[in-house]
Amino acid sequence: MHFKDLEFTSQPALDWVAPYAAKAAHALESLSFPTKKDEDWRFTPLKTLTKHAFQSVNSEAKSVTEEHVQKYRLPESKESTLVLVNGVIREDLSSFSLSTEAITVKRLQDMTPAELDEAGFQTLVPVERDYFTVLHTATLTSGYYLHVHKGAKVEAPIHVLNIQTGSATPYVSSFRLLIHVEQEAEATLIEEHVSLDDSVYLTIPVMETFVQKKGRLNHLRIQRENKSCFHISRPITSLEGTAEYHSYTIALGAHLFRNEPQIIQTGEEVDFTLDGLILIDGDQISDTHSVMDHRFSHGNSHQLHKVVVHGNAHSVFNGKIFVRQDAQIIDSFQENRNLLLSRDGIVYTKPQLEIFADDVQCSHGATIGDLDPDEVFYLQSRGMTEQKAKEVLTYAFALETIENIEVESVHTFLVDEVKAYTSRNVASRF
Amino acid sequence: MSEVMSDTDKLHEFIGEEYKYGFTTDVEYDEFPKGLNEDIIRQLSAIKNEPEWMLEFRLKAFRAWSEMEEPQWFNASYVKPVFDQIQYYSAPKSKPSLESLDELDPAIKDTYDRLGIPLDEQERLAGVAVDAVFDSVSVFTSFKEKLANAGVIFCSISEAIQKYPELVKKYMGSVIPARDNFYSALNSAVFSDGSFTYVPKDTISPMELSTYFRINNMDSGQFERTLIIAEENSFVSYLEGCTAPMFDTNQLHAAVVELIAMDGAEIKYSTIQNWYSGDEKGVGGIYNFVTKRGLAKGNGSKISWTQLETGSAVTLKYPSVILQGDNSVGEFYSVAVTSKRQQADTGTKMIHLGKNTKSTIISKGISAGESQNSYRGLVKIGKNAENARNYSQCDSMLIGQTCGAHTFPYIESANPTGKIEHEATTSRVGEEQIFYLQQRGMSEQDAISMIVNGFVKEVLKELPMEFAIEANKLLDIKLEGSVG
Repeated sequence: MHFKDLEFTSQPALDWVAPYAAKAAHALESLSFPTKKDEDWRFTPLKTLTKHAFQSVNSEAKSVTEEHVQKYRLPESKESTLVLVNGVIREDLSSFSLSTEAITVKRLQDMTPAELDEAGFQTLVPVERDYFTVLHTATLTSGYYLHVHKGAKVEAPIHVLNIQTGSATPYVSSFRLLIHVEQEAEATLIEEHVSLDDSVYLTIPVMETFVQKKGRLNHLRIQRENKSCFHISRPITSLEGTAEYHSYTIALGAHLFRNEPQIIQTGEEVDFTLDGLILIDGDQISDTHSVMDHRFSHGNSHQLHKVVVHGNAHSVFNGKIFVRQDAQIIDSFQENRNLLLSRDGIVYTKPQLEIFADDVQCSHGATIGDLDPDEVFYLQSRGMTEQKAKEVLTYAFALETIENIEVESVHTFLVDEVKAYTSRNVASRF
Repeated sequence: MSEVMSDTDKLHEFIGEEYKYGFTTDVEYDEFPKGLNEDIIRQLSAIKNEPEWMLEFRLKAFRAWSEMEEPQWFNASYVKPVFDQIQYYSAPKSKPSLESLDELDPAIKDTYDRLGIPLDEQERLAGVAVDAVFDSVSVFTSFKEKLANAGVIFCSISEAIQKYPELVKKYMGSVIPARDNFYSALNSAVFSDGSFTYVPKDTISPMELSTYFRINNMDSGQFERTLIIAEENSFVSYLEGCTAPMFDTNQLHAAVVELIAMDGAEIKYSTIQNWYSGDEKGVGGIYNFVTKRGLAKGNGSKISWTQLETGSAVTLKYPSVILQGDNSVGEFYSVAVTSKRQQADTGTKMIHLGKNTKSTIISKGISAGESQNSYRGLVKIGKNAENARNYSQCDSMLIGQTCGAHTFPYIESANPTGKIEHEATTSRVGEEQIFYLQQRGMSEQDAISMIVNGFVKEVLKELPMEFAIEANKLLDIKLEGSVG
């Protein structure tokens, strides 16, 4: 494996992270690279990842200009956009002018170790969590602290746009977000990952999110990177009592996308959503390993994970619902629907319930299959061509997960993405 | 209802019913030294007067087993069996091959009577051929003649090895190779006895075949081997029921059951398992590590597993079907009840290889006390399995706050024409449900009993009549004592 041989070139801006990185680099030596023998990686081949010799270079690509960024800007986030290039903030491209009364944004490197500790840095995602978290820490380039203050209602969605752009050699780029939504505060975060070219890279973003009492966070995660890259992310969220968190992950890109969202309930009466939509084709591999961890009484949670598979693509889903002992009156529902539309595609799914309390309502459902021929026939009988009928049905299937996204411009471009995906792939079958 | 929680308490009580069949029978045994090596296997094979190929099969399995690691992936924690401390063979001294019940050791006969399975009565009234396994050797086989007239072979596996070596040689290990897993390798090396069934072409077995297993010797592992072959267009229904006496030492039971169904054949295999589950503190009880697999080999063949699992300290059991033939059908109906400190990790595997294959999984888990009940299943649609169809439903019911219910379904599809649906729920007996029934004049106990019965009904109705009665009896026994 090549990662151990990485040279961790310490850059000036990274001094703050040096102690963590050194610790991680050390830990990396004793950890073995995950293989198919590890239950968590059983269905996810990492062969293509080990083929590349990655370097931890991170030259802040100055060549990225407004011209490149323009098309990703969201009108709703005119004053609340943070632009990152290869994980490092570009202040000249960012436009962030929200009131500091409501929200503050800091670079982690500008925080003292005490401040970091207080903010819960590395509490939800400790260095030694797993191989890729160690690798993330060892290759960490930057990190940002988003702090929504008590009672603040931030109307404008905060758009964190991470642009990846190439270097000739495959590289590793990792950044970290530390998010605090304080009591009774409300915010919407749009975390978007895009790439400007077809360069090969490995990105391991880590998000540690804390939502405090009566706080509410909508978290949209959009991953539409190139199809050569590797994206391994760990968005971990901790919810205090009476907090609300709604997460929607839409993933269209990456050669390998491995997402490990985890929501931990740390108080009573929480409400959370963990929806996902995955559209893959070609040689893409998409893998979601999610955990919904109910540790206290009174919780409502809902997960809808939809996947459409074309080409040789390969989808994996493992959704765990935990209800700990004494966590009574939990209502949790998980649904995983997979449309397998090609001969060479494969779907693995493992919805998993682990219940240790008796007064609960937990259920899950999973389906794998093609479009219903009766539905296709019905639309054909209404005058649609078979191709059109299939496009409409696939589109409708995908749309269910997007419908709940309230940011209009995001909704619009996602609809376009879905349309482009369905027409591209359905057409290829005819 | 004076206290709100009382329904839960009642349920506790009903599940916590003491094991009724915990008594031992004093019969003299052929003792074998404890532990396992090639010599023991040779000795075992020699006692059973086995042909050379059988010994080879055992030795090969033993060598494979010696190199294998004991699996750790189950959702259960228990004291691992000490394989050196197991006595790998024990047989009642009374000679097998009895012509009538009168020749049976009175002590053994009494055991059956106390279990509520009077063989003679069954023989007369139920018309069921019983191949009773008392510890390891078949001591009794009835209705042989009637079956023989129909051409059905139903005998102990030892007898089959002597009389029908070609059939045994051809099929034993063909569905579950010795190397398949740790416990199947162990079983292949040391299996003591078991049942053999062969149903010829175009034959419907004239009666339900049944075997009663009973573990009755301290520290004697049970390694049963069952092989059922159903030729073209034949049908057989096989019943297996188990009870065991109360012991402090954990006993290992690692059976292997292989089913083979040819074109148009159907095998229905039903189990009631009520082995000793250990006491309140989790001391003692049977380890039930069974490998069961059916091969739906022929086109249009069907294999159906039905199980009611109520006993054992630890159950690890995944009766599976390989749907190889086109249009073949696999079914799995299961009720698993765990209480006290029982741990069950059970489920099924449905491997779709042929075209238009269909499988159904209905699994109901009830956990109470401090028990852990897991469903673990695999549904796999292979690349060439056109139009395969699966429907799975796994429901769990929790009684009390110290037990756990888990669901681990693995679902894999590599064919877009396949269709898989899986659903699972976890809930408890609702206070409203109980209240509603009480309001209709039922006692609380009857209400709970009715709700539980309703929960498992879908599965129990799949049991053959003879077993359905016994299953009801078993649930009644479990319910007993919770009234008043």
